[in-house]
Amino acid sequence: MIGPSIKIKGEVSGDEDLLIQGKVEGTISLGNNEVVVGESGEVNADIIAKTVRVDGKVKGDITGKESVVISRIGNVRGNITAPRVQLEDGGIFKGSIDMDPGDEAVKKAPQAAVASATIPAPENKAPIRDIKSG
Amino acid sequence: MGGALPETVDFFSRYRCKLHFVDLFDELPRLAEPALAQDKPLAQHFRELMRIQAGVQFDLCLFWDLFNFLRLDAVAALLNALEPHLHGDTRAHCFAVHSLKTDQSGMVYGIREVDQINLRPRPAMLPGYSPHNQGQLERVLGRFSVTRSVLLAQSRLELLLSANRQT
Repeated sequence: MIGPSIKIKGEVSGDEDLLIQGKVEGTISLGNNEVVVGESGEVNADIIAKTVRVDGKVKGDITGKESVVISRIGNVRGNITAPRVQLEDGGIFKGSIDMDPGDEAVKKAPQAAVASATIPAPENKAPIRDIKSG
Repeated sequence: MGGALPETVDFFSRYRCKLHFVDLFDELPRLAEPALAQDKPLAQHFRELMRIQAGVQFDLCLFWDLFNFLRLDAVAALLNALEPHLHGDTRAHCFAVHSLKTDQSGMVYGIREVDQINLRPRPAMLPGYSPHNQGQLERVLGRFSVTRSVLLAQSRLELLLSANRQT
């Protein structure tokens, strides 16, 4: 664990899980393990890990081989690459997400269906009328 | 356009895709400054705000009701900045108004299912509300054209757009 009073500038790597409650600037590479940025953690670095959970602040790119979770108190500004990304209600994210879910979950995005999505008409109101098409 | 919402991230995480979230709603006060276009073109401001990597092309652009908060010249500048990132099959979606007297919706939009958009109330109304009707928007859509227009309750319009193939 990197405690709340600890500041690190440089490369952090290893073969075990890591909880960050302090400040890290540089790179964090724990490819086969879990990285948790705790509530008081402030990371200004790229993170590579098997799973990443953000309860604090991250400014940098995150690569999660299995998953990345931004909790309701997490704040991430950067790009995320992971087969599974979860943003909890209240969590803040700005950047891009690249989801490459792997063999069993690969599907084509339903472009036509998304393009025709409409808001269901609220109750007791006039129904949706399509007044122009083509 | 707009902040990342849990339901939208969850919906698209079912598919192999890349999402790019740009919350221009946060930048509305700055975009409304009259002096903004004096140091560099508006389109350049949008390029810097969006920070889209060269070579990235979008299949789908979700503008939600962003255009209702931008002057028409700003809408044109935004679409000009997006133009290199569009291709002939790009689709887009936006909300506009049928009547210019329509009130601000005060909602944040997310995607819950293929046929459901999720609405959340905004914590506060946004500044600079100046909606445009379909006719006004069509003059500044640039490469996009309206392929479908749906009249919703409270005089709101839902527009589906398609990017024209470049000749």
